[in-house]
Amino acid sequence: MKHVGIYLRLGLRNLWLHPARTGLTVLALAVGIAALTFLTAMNDGWMQNIRENFVLTEVGHLQIHARGFEQSHKIRDHIPDTRPLKSRLDSEPGILAWTERIRVSGLASAAGANAGVLVSGIDPLRERKVSRLADFISQGRWFGLDEAHATIIGDVLAERLEVGLGDKLVLMAAAPNGDIMSEVFRVRGVIHSGVMDIDNLLTLIPLASARKWLGMATAGNGGEYGGVTDIVIRADSFADVNPLKQSLSAAFAGQDLEVLRWMDIDPMAEQWSQFADAYTWIVLAVVILVVLAEVLNTMLMSMHDRIREFGLMGALGTGAMQLFAMLMWETVILVCIGGLLGFVMGGWASAYYGEYGLDLSRFATAFSFMYMSPIVHPQLTFDGCARILGAAIIGAMIAGLYPAWKAARLEPAVAMREI
Amino acid sequence: MNASDNGTASMEGWDSPLIQARDLSRHFHSSQVEVVALDGVNFDLQHGAFSVLAGRSGSGKTTLLNILGTLDMPDAGALNISGRDVLKLSTAERADFRLMHMGFIFQAYNLIRVLSARENVAYVLQLRGVARDERLRIADTWLAEVGLEGLESRRPDQLSGGQQQRVAVARALASEPDIVLADEPTANLDSHTGEALMQLMRALNEKRGTTFLIASHDPVAMDAGKELLMMEDGRIVEQHRQ
Ligand SMILES: Nc1ncnc2c1ncn2[C@@H]1O[C@H](COP(=O)(O)OP(=O)(O)OP(=O)(O)O)[C@@H](O)[C@H]1O
Ligand SMILES: [Mg+2]
Repeated sequence: MKHVGIYLRLGLRNLWLHPARTGLTVLALAVGIAALTFLTAMNDGWMQNIRENFVLTEVGHLQIHARGFEQSHKIRDHIPDTRPLKSRLDSEPGILAWTERIRVSGLASAAGANAGVLVSGIDPLRERKVSRLADFISQGRWFGLDEAHATIIGDVLAERLEVGLGDKLVLMAAAPNGDIMSEVFRVRGVIHSGVMDIDNLLTLIPLASARKWLGMATAGNGGEYGGVTDIVIRADSFADVNPLKQSLSAAFAGQDLEVLRWMDIDPMAEQWSQFADAYTWIVLAVVILVVLAEVLNTMLMSMHDRIREFGLMGALGTGAMQLFAMLMWETVILVCIGGLLGFVMGGWASAYYGEYGLDLSRFATAFSFMYMSPIVHPQLTFDGCARILGAAIIGAMIAGLYPAWKAARLEPAVAMREI
Repeated sequence: MNASDNGTASMEGWDSPLIQARDLSRHFHSSQVEVVALDGVNFDLQHGAFSVLAGRSGSGKTTLLNILGTLDMPDAGALNISGRDVLKLSTAERADFRLMHMGFIFQAYNLIRVLSARENVAYVLQLRGVARDERLRIADTWLAEVGLEGLESRRPDQLSGGQQQRVAVARALASEPDIVLADEPTANLDSHTGEALMQLMRALNEKRGTTFLIASHDPVAMDAGKELLMMEDGRIVEQHRQ
């Protein structure tokens, strides 16, 4: 395009001609973009926080099941012996720790009441390296070594069953062969996680006790070896999840095993990411609207003031494309200054709260079921910035095109007649 | 820079008139009434003319000037400027034609308000591709020529009405056009300032040979013209030297 320089200069000077109007527009743009940048960072920080809490609370980054268990959730679909897998899991890069569990649904009866429960037989030592379940103890204590008939249950469940520390609990569940087995446990601890499924349903027992109770110990031992339903893996980071899934699936191919990622395990995870996507789209739509409304308003006002001048410029031989370019420049300048300022403000706020955290504990009870911790650390990602920038540019384009197109189409003779 | 150097006007172009207007008509349709603004305009304008287009308000002066300046198109007729059939030009070609061949002076709002006097004059030169130093030098020369030495950096709103019109004259002449079209250039000026502006343009016409066509019903302007074209009801009814 010819003479870009002069139209850039004209654009700047025309904006400077109305410092108050231009300043207000820039400020409004900046505040809008800053708020949306911060909201995006909040959202990303939140999602990261939820993912982390979700994974570390119980589920782990990856789980290995016997094929079919994910559909049936029946204990008959278990892994009979994990010893052949051990060396690979211990040596695989990207795995921080791993443990084994037996998961089965059953019935808990105490003196006063019964309730459906989710029994989880865990390895007391290794579990602590994978999940945070031990951190949630609110009364009593974690399992001691070689403690056979101990159980730790969710606090809501304890209330429902009207049991406390030291009380007896009878657990009933179906063994792999279909027989209903029951066993007596004594409550040694109560946990409060804030996650409904855990607090309402979870009943932890030592893995060895679970194997003996349900007949899953390999013959001739006290439950140290034998069947499990889940191998739970904590990866070094989220970035390792997909590579690990691939490498483990390949390593264990042909062994009737299934390697599942955290998001494959809980359908809620899928919904979160859809929710996050929807939120992102809403934010982007708002960015476009903010930019559009602000810039369009200013540009139309500025155009109205200058119809005669456009006519004059046209009469002097300024081409339609050049008038178009001049107005587009003004839009670009407005959006660049406002957007940059907004990015700086929003980025600063995100970085500040990213470092020190934003305390939302007043609202935390409402959110805790979503694995959300009450202190949010906004996270400004490159993707988030790029999306907002893109949306701002789209908004500016739409807002700039209309006035520029109108100016370019003006007939000089007609425009000159306007007062 | 002059159009006659570009080969568009042949040697015989100098013998033939600069403007040949034949049966130009222009109708406006505004709210059911049809206004005949131009009703068969015929005239020739010679190179080097300094002509005043006079006539009552509404007689069609501005309409004619807009058509001669390729800012508007007639409904019928023929128009030849500098040996070119300008009615055949596209919108973009007309913008280019104006840039290369025409100078304009309007009644008011002649200047781009965010540009200084010097930049306003240099603007058309820049559109024509004249290098920066060269166009600023030309602009200053022309501003001095119209008596605005020392005011080159002022913005339009820091200049009087008469000074603004002088900047417009400098701009119209700086690109050495074939013709300068001026529509009521003195209408917003007091009679003394208006007369001075007319004398300035006439002096430039005599010194440089630039052709001027000035629409005005201002007696001061009419007196200054070497030639008078009288318009009445969309027609040129009289053309005589004075
Ligand atoms: N765009 C237009 N739409 C409708 N009517 C128009 C338009 N332009 C001019 N006219 C009409 O055409 C006629 C001639 O107008 P024009 O402006 O050419 O007159 P003029 O001689 O320049 O008048 P003045 O001395 O007042 O400037 C007038 O009746 C005017 O109302
Ligand atoms: Mg007029």
